Amino acid sequence: MTSIKLYILVMLAVLLTGCADHERKLTFWIGGAPQEVDYWESLVDEFERTSGITVDLIRQPSSTDQRKQGLVISMAAEQPDPDVFLMDIVWLQQFFQSGWLQPLDPFWGRAGFSIAPFFRDVVDTVDRFAGHYYALPVFIDIGLLYYRKDLLNKYGYSGPPLTWRELLQQASEIQAGERSHNPGFNGFLWQGAQYEGLVCTFLEFSASNGGGIMLDGQVRLNRGANAVALGFMQDLIRKYGISPLNTYTDMREEEVRRAFQRGDALFERNWLYAWRLHQKNGSAVKGKIGMTALPQFEEGRSVAALGGWHIGISRHSDMPGRAWELVRYILSHSSQKKLVLNLGWYPGRSDIYTDPEVLKKMPYAGLLQEIFSRVVTRPNLPYYDQVSAVIQRAVNGCLAGKQPPDAALRRMQSEIDHIEDIYAKKK
Amino acid sequence: MKVVKDRYRPNEIRDAYLFLLPMLLFAVIFILLPVLGTLVTSLFREVSFLPSRFSGLDNYLRLTTDRHFWQSIRFTLLFVGVSVAAELFFGMVLALVLNESVPGRGFVRVAVLVPWAIPIAVSARMWELIFNFDYGVVNFIVLQLGLADAPINWLGSATGAFGAIVISDVWKTTPFMTIILLAGLAAIPQDLYKQAMVDGTTFIQRFFYITLPLLRPVLVVALLFRTIDAVRIFDLIYVLTGGGPGGGTTSLSLYAFKYYTSGDFGYGSAISLVVFLVAGLLAVFYIRITGFREVVK
Amino acid sequence: MREERIKNILKSAGVAFLLLFCLLPFVWVMLVSLAKEPDFLLPQVAFDATFDNYSDVLTSGSLHLLDYLRNSLVVSAVAALAATLFASLAAYAITRLKFPGRLLIPLVLMAFSMFPQISIVGYLFKMMIGLGWINTYTGLIFPYITLGMPLALWIMLSYFSEISTELDRAALVDGATRIQILHKIILPLAAPGALSATLLVFIYTFNEFLFAMMLTTDYRARTIPVGIAFFEGLHGQIPWGHLMAVAVISVVPVILLAAVFQRKIIRGLLQGAIKG
Repeated sequence: MTSIKLYILVMLAVLLTGCADHERKLTFWIGGAPQEVDYWESLVDEFERTSGITVDLIRQPSSTDQRKQGLVISMAAEQPDPDVFLMDIVWLQQFFQSGWLQPLDPFWGRAGFSIAPFFRDVVDTVDRFAGHYYALPVFIDIGLLYYRKDLLNKYGYSGPPLTWRELLQQASEIQAGERSHNPGFNGFLWQGAQYEGLVCTFLEFSASNGGGIMLDGQVRLNRGANAVALGFMQDLIRKYGISPLNTYTDMREEEVRRAFQRGDALFERNWLYAWRLHQKNGSAVKGKIGMTALPQFEEGRSVAALGGWHIGISRHSDMPGRAWELVRYILSHSSQKKLVLNLGWYPGRSDIYTDPEVLKKMPYAGLLQEIFSRVVTRPNLPYYDQVSAVIQRAVNGCLAGKQPPDAALRRMQSEIDHIEDIYAKKK
Repeated sequence: MKVVKDRYRPNEIRDAYLFLLPMLLFAVIFILLPVLGTLVTSLFREVSFLPSRFSGLDNYLRLTTDRHFWQSIRFTLLFVGVSVAAELFFGMVLALVLNESVPGRGFVRVAVLVPWAIPIAVSARMWELIFNFDYGVVNFIVLQLGLADAPINWLGSATGAFGAIVISDVWKTTPFMTIILLAGLAAIPQDLYKQAMVDGTTFIQRFFYITLPLLRPVLVVALLFRTIDAVRIFDLIYVLTGGGPGGGTTSLSLYAFKYYTSGDFGYGSAISLVVFLVAGLLAVFYIRITGFREVVK
Repeated sequence: MREERIKNILKSAGVAFLLLFCLLPFVWVMLVSLAKEPDFLLPQVAFDATFDNYSDVLTSGSLHLLDYLRNSLVVSAVAALAATLFASLAAYAITRLKFPGRLLIPLVLMAFSMFPQISIVGYLFKMMIGLGWINTYTGLIFPYITLGMPLALWIMLSYFSEISTELDRAALVDGATRIQILHKIILPLAAPGALSATLLVFIYTFNEFLFAMMLTTDYRARTIPVGIAFFEGLHGQIPWGHLMAVAVISVVPVILLAAVFQRKIIRGLLQGAIKG
């Protein structure tokens, strides 16, 4: 009998050590990419020194899906951790409407904080809900066209294309020319694989023709302008051949970036982050490239998809005051400046873009400011996940040649209508 | 176990249930209760950004028109069929070849346990590396042998990913299957074979008329467990492909998980119940075609 | 004899194939973990043997690798011990006492063990929230005990049923209580079985993934399988050397156990299959 008692005692002891006290620390969840972690670690170190608040910096996997899953589990479980975390711009509506965040504006009055320096277009569109601001942008991302200056010069073009037609012409000619000694050369690389990024690509093409995903607050995909744009995307691969066949199977951000960086492409559609990497030592295209706004269709306008990550405070945080201190520090002018200078990411504060030090490192700051005024956003819906899955599958199927654009759009619309029946009812 | 049909004595019954109490308590609270709870939840609309309300069979009706759901079912059943068949085949071949002796040397035994002992999550990352586009051994070998001129993106295509998953699963479970079958083979009296050989039979005849029938009980149990395990597969797919590319390798369990973690608990519960039903149906099917007695023994 | 020789050749070939099949992938993992560059198979890349990958991952605080290891070890050990204990109690009752439901209970438990984890974890998650056990050891241990009980029960049943009931009768006559009999007579005789059961449940719960992922949120209670599943680098550029080092470290406990106790483990597994 005694050894059974011993057994039980041992187990209890072990259990108790496990339940050892978790001192309440301010927990901050970030992404797992190495450079990102370095930046956050140094930022948090300084914050701890200047404010005296200890922060537990926890890195999540870098996969966006996994980050969301982890957050949803914690939020649904009403955990006091994490206190502060980052969110992809497309998650915001769901997080707001699920009641997982604290409103931030109550903190502003006494702290003397103002959102004036932030991009109001961005902040007012995506960060507001029910009259309050529940998140703020840490960095924003837009879709751009990267191009090889040297190649355009070589073939006698004065500048990058302003319309898709011009792009087609330049890419076709230069691809033919370059392929004679570089058979793996492609005119135009963009993200066409079946994943979230495809929605951005689709959004950009369709909005650049006057179309888009939303119209008057509703998902309205079945439009002529969209059919033309989607048809053009399909033709780039299948008819004109300036985008490779694996565009719709493999091409995501990194695949596109690496190929362009190797010198195997004339044009690249990618996010801001690529610029810095292209200009690093060891890059085959260093000093040979330029970036500009994406082209448009004749009847449309040039647009850029809006991406980026925002920061918020959990509604179940057990130390919202201290959490706000951290958020404020991260959004401060000096921290955001470090963001662009050290990490090469673009802050949500517009006043950074006029800073002289920054201008030296980011000669395109003026261009960016201008493009920011023409951003288009993906649908601001709490059930965006499902909508995105539908769009991804249909667009990718169309690119793969499985169905023509009109059919794809019709199907997308009807599937999304079905989804809205389920999720949009407020009863 | 001898079943003695005696009169039950109240003292004994009380003692018995006291002994059984911890186990029964845990089983009821942590297995039975959650499954019932999942069933109940599946009858509600439980979405993180909407008020919860009873919705009856709505979630199940939704399943009938959900293309992703049917895709998951097809994938899961295909996976079960292919990988269980492969494990059985390879396990049997290896068992026959190694016949009569469970790998004697300790080293061989440990080697055989390695695939089974490693967490699936770890082995999934291992296979992720082996099939990797840039650094994987498979591409290296394929290129070296001239089977292709460019590296293949195994995990980037639906068939490639399916193949990778099956190979990983077979790697993990074949050694285990081999041991089980070996033990079963060892229980067959050698005299039967000797007699058959004297009678001038071929190996094939001996296999189908002696080996298989006598191996049946072991086979049935092994198959039953492996099939149920394969139906509920989650770990391997989550880590190796994440359900991709484009949802092409999403098993039922993974599909339910995705809904749980995107805030739609009701729908996720409904899918989980379907997994439960599929596993249950398969078990019943097995028991039916082999007869309950076999399994009970 | 000709046939003898062919048989032997086949047998050796079979053993060799089995060994390669089982070990080669893992040998590859170890090689990569010890190399500076993962593509050392290419002629132009040298195989720089180094322990850097290991030291990097072990000293990197933000990776919490040692935390995950500790969590896994504690949770699995406690769950394994408890499961074996409960299973022993139950096995004793089933093999020695007469009561209604005697045959039914092991079957029911076996059925429970076949329930898909996904059908359990959803509501279990909500239960744990209610109990406040999310991201705690208890939150994992209790479900793990439950998961391990069927396995342990099966093993203990087969061991106990081989022990003659005469021993019980003799002790009962001497005035011992049932618990004393179990503790002082039966368990010692079935010790190898108890060891097998504990080991198998340990390995099973050590490798468990779904529950661990849904019921924990960070390094304070998270286990190794989840830790390694989430290990990643930048935008898809996975640091393979580091990852493989983590992989090797993760399996060290289990492989050690397997190596030391391989006879017991195999015997335990076979009990389940043959007797079942």
